[in-house]
Amino acid sequence: MGNTITDQQITKGLTVFDNIDGKLLTALNSCVHCGLCATSCPVFLATKDEKLTPAHKVDLVASIYKKYCTFSGKLFPGLVSAKAIDDELVEEMVDQLFGACTMCGRCNIHCSIGVDIEYLVRTGRTMLANMDKVPSTLQSTVDSALNTGNNMAIPTEEFVDTLEWLEEDLQDDLEDETAKIPLNEIEKKYLYTLNPREPKFFPLSISAMAKVFHVAKESWTLSTKMYDVTNYAYFSGNPEHAKIIAKRLDDEMEELKAEECVLAECGHGSRSFRWEAPNYLDKKLDYNVLTSVELLAEYLRDGRIKTDPNLIEEVVTLHDPCNLVRGGGVIDEQRYILSKTVKNFVEMTPHGTESFCCGGGGGHLAMSEYNERRMKMGELKAEQIRKTGATIVATPCHNCVDQLIQINHAFKLNVQIKTLAEIVADSIVINSEDKNRIQD
Amino acid sequence: MIMIWYKILLLATLGICALGCINILFSLIKKGNAKDYAKPAGNPLKGVAYSMTGAMSPKRKESAYLHLPTYSAGLLYHFGTFLCLFLLILSFFSISYSNFLKVAFLGFIALTSLSGFGILIKRMVKSGLRSLSNPDDYISNFLVTIFQIATALVVMNWIPDMAYCLIVSLLLLYIPVGKLRHIVYFFAARYHLGWFYGYRGVWK
Repeated sequence: MGNTITDQQITKGLTVFDNIDGKLLTALNSCVHCGLCATSCPVFLATKDEKLTPAHKVDLVASIYKKYCTFSGKLFPGLVSAKAIDDELVEEMVDQLFGACTMCGRCNIHCSIGVDIEYLVRTGRTMLANMDKVPSTLQSTVDSALNTGNNMAIPTEEFVDTLEWLEEDLQDDLEDETAKIPLNEIEKKYLYTLNPREPKFFPLSISAMAKVFHVAKESWTLSTKMYDVTNYAYFSGNPEHAKIIAKRLDDEMEELKAEECVLAECGHGSRSFRWEAPNYLDKKLDYNVLTSVELLAEYLRDGRIKTDPNLIEEVVTLHDPCNLVRGGGVIDEQRYILSKTVKNFVEMTPHGTESFCCGGGGGHLAMSEYNERRMKMGELKAEQIRKTGATIVATPCHNCVDQLIQINHAFKLNVQIKTLAEIVADSIVINSEDKNRIQD
Repeated sequence: MIMIWYKILLLATLGICALGCINILFSLIKKGNAKDYAKPAGNPLKGVAYSMTGAMSPKRKESAYLHLPTYSAGLLYHFGTFLCLFLLILSFFSISYSNFLKVAFLGFIALTSLSGFGILIKRMVKSGLRSLSNPDDYISNFLVTIFQIATALVVMNWIPDMAYCLIVSLLLLYIPVGKLRHIVYFFAARYHLGWFYGYRGVWK
């Protein structure tokens, strides 16, 4: 069988090495092949496949760099395992970089050298995206966002209908007709975003956050034009697509003249807009961007909402989304929130920056061809959860929620999976004085 | 003059090695940090400081505490290399050592080179490592181990200076070409990792 990768594709793929920065140059040259990263990788731990270690992924990307960009790789390819791009290599790259890495970044902190392995995997994914080799399942999620404005292709009418009944429900729940889910209002303090899974599958998390906003007497709005916090192009590795998606939210911030942008509970969504969007857009954002987790913690600290931890007596544990924690530095806030909202909180082992990915990261939930691997990774998380004895698993990420629901079902954990907004909303107490203050 | 040709060779290869490493360092500095327009959530310099200190603690890295025998062997091996490099520099000043010191060097370097040899064997024997390795890995490990052994032997005057100088010259020529460049890249990797996690407030 001949090589189907064209020279044009190879040239496009290699553009990732144009204008290479010091960080990438370092990462490409630093791995010493000690192999000690293997035991920090949930994919390796789950599969025990020696070809799926972080070092192998590093080597795939570095081998191409060596072949085309280094003296030793060009002259003595066998010496430094420099490899030319061909069908076999591309197939291996797709399988390893898309199908066997959730870009959780756990290997980074445990690497004996300190190679930013996740950064290299992203570079490899970008290389594949430039060669039109993104798995079609993942690309279709990106295409939905590009073509419809949200990754689940929810029509605006359906979205508005959902929000209208949620608003009615909220008013009934609070017995307060002033409770609103504001849409497209201008000059509000916060433009709040959503993961499209919320209106589609988990609408209660929207009403939970709306309840919090209402009780906190917050000035906020949702946009019907651009509410999608996700950016799957971050996973596909296509910076042009990522830029288009990020620009929509940036434009909507300007259109609605909102002061700050609040990112819903979505690990990669918060990372891709808070941390990556300014780089996709090549500019500093002239407004503050924060996650709803930080905002919830702020409300609790400032006493803008009052909660009673005794309202949630079950044992609760926390799953840390990789992109929010290792990729975004939001580590203590979720713990503070739980300390104020639940009676029995138990940490998983390990947790925080050491936390294991649930298996749903890196776009894996969109790539059904890797379901078996994803669920094997889920088994590690299932064991962690089981050991805590918790009956509620809180997690500030809708992708993680989805994966944890599947883990719960597959490994018969018999737990409830909740977002932090839901936990906060369930523990809110409103006395008559508060009610008057809110309605004023 | 015939007597010192190998010392000239040694000096020349040392110069080439230093230039190669400086070139790597300068190209890294020239290329600079990855662009980042995001508003920082922490102090990147504190992250770098932590990356070079606390984050390197064996208590903090699974690559250390889950693999203590390999980690310890690696650490010893590196200490041995640094000692041998130090002795190489001292050799230019014709410093002589007491017998006790010579025996101490011999004992320590025997241990460190044994560690290096052990790592080499592990790389050859373990299938996971073997599949990851290329000739550069074996050559680098072999050259450094031989360098250590040669240093111990020359300190004891058990091999002629010429043999030592040739072995060291070979190693010095190889450093800027193969994976031994991590003598520079290691610090760059720790710097970038620390900058990233410091900037994002992960390593506070």
